Amino acid sequence: MKPYLEIFRVQLKNNFVREAVYRTNFLTTVMVDVIWMGVELSLFTVLYANVPTLAGWTKEQVFFFLGIFFASDALFSTFFQRNFWMFSDLVNKGELDILLTKPVNPLFLALTRWMSLTTFFNVFLGLAIAIRFAEPAGFAGGSRWALVSIWLLVGLATAVALRFAFSIWVFWTERSWALSRLYYQFFQFATKPDALYPPAIRYLILTFLPFAFIGSIPARALLHGLELEEYALIAGVLLAFFVVDAWLWRVGLRRYQSASS
Amino acid sequence: MKLEWRLAALKNGLQDATAYRIEFIFEFLSAAFVPAAIQWILWYALFKIGGATEIAGMSYQDLLQYTLVSILFTQVRGGDLDFELGEMIRSGQLSNYLLRPVGVVEFVFLRGLAPKLFIAGFCLLLGIVLSFFIDISPTRLVGAMGLALIGNVIYYQLSASLASAAFVWEEAYSLLMVKNMVVNLLSGELLPLNLFPQALSWIWMSAPFYLFVFGPTQYALGRWSHEQFLVQFGISAIWLVIGYGLIRLTWGLGIRRYLSLGG
Repeated sequence: MKPYLEIFRVQLKNNFVREAVYRTNFLTTVMVDVIWMGVELSLFTVLYANVPTLAGWTKEQVFFFLGIFFASDALFSTFFQRNFWMFSDLVNKGELDILLTKPVNPLFLALTRWMSLTTFFNVFLGLAIAIRFAEPAGFAGGSRWALVSIWLLVGLATAVALRFAFSIWVFWTERSWALSRLYYQFFQFATKPDALYPPAIRYLILTFLPFAFIGSIPARALLHGLELEEYALIAGVLLAFFVVDAWLWRVGLRRYQSASS
Repeated sequence: MKLEWRLAALKNGLQDATAYRIEFIFEFLSAAFVPAAIQWILWYALFKIGGATEIAGMSYQDLLQYTLVSILFTQVRGGDLDFELGEMIRSGQLSNYLLRPVGVVEFVFLRGLAPKLFIAGFCLLLGIVLSFFIDISPTRLVGAMGLALIGNVIYYQLSASLASAAFVWEEAYSLLMVKNMVVNLLSGELLPLNLFPQALSWIWMSAPFYLFVFGPTQYALGRWSHEQFLVQFGISAIWLVIGYGLIRLTWGLGIRRYLSLGG
């Protein structure tokens, strides 16, 4: 475990040095994300101008959910997003070769090489929105704030597992671009509370495509708590995803034919 | 000669877009139906779970019709050609185009227009099939598609003008991403613009984005009269002139500063 922590520390340092060179990148990243957050908040502002509640969620509760969702997504963008964009090149251009020669798990290297540390600022923006709407949303606060970090990690783990499941097929297909786009289309299901969805879609985003675990379930858990079976469902689905992802990685590696793949 | 390169650019654009046919169809379908599914979910939550009967004067049926018909026009709008222009400037590839006897902004537009024309034709056919199930007239559909295509040109003009920021700013792509998000909301792709509170309507009315999706959908569904449609057509013509002027200005200034570095 210790060597992995050391490698992660070095990767973190390297990425920090690289990003320090492009300082304006910080402002643009923040600007783009602030607008994105603004558009999502505006969408619900318009809807709530017409109705008092949406599937039992008040405007403040939805904004609290959005805050948690933005923070969780920003964590993923900071530490993993770029690695998944580069995943296709790892296989198609044979860049995986160099990782396979190292005496550590190549998957660990593949998923931690690139970071967008400037995006980390958006974790605070998301949390600021959650904090602003916590009380009117009915969040108990106090020691329950400690649970926020745990639920953010659940959201992060879900995003990694899902994104990996959409990217791994590059070992079998020539281009993974269409699947990446499909991931981002489905990702839109994560931007709304799961209570809004009809039963079939709700079932889908709580099981086979658990996008609800990124923001909706954490927000619901923080606001109202979950049933015991819902906790079991989250653990079961995430475990299943990690087992299948790991198996696909091993099978994919066996197909890998270096630069000519 | 002038027509020849334009036709060649159109042909080349269509060939390029359909080189990976499965991906082309896959992208078209996912780009069309996932956003529509999201809209439908919102209406479902409002009416079926929330028990609402009418919102901003629209019933569940009205909103579903809007969602369904707006898909036809959402697919005609836009594309990522502005990102292509920005990358050309940033990487210095623009130099290759400046040496040729073609206007680079128009060339990129025509290449991108070809698949959009194909999609517009397909969506028109789809709309005519839909007219058997929904009360929409094929004549109105043709007019609405015409407005959506003009919207495509306006969208490109504004996008290309913004892309010219790459002449002076390395991170110009972020402006384009912001523009995309604003257009998503203010074009009527995410929800009908008449859901905006009256006091905020000026926001979408003062930009041309509503002409891309909301306008064509309103006309196709018979919620705009022919007179209103003609007025909006006139407004789109004004935006075309403004867009043309903006391109001339921004690219004229940009080319003067261009150093052909990178790549």
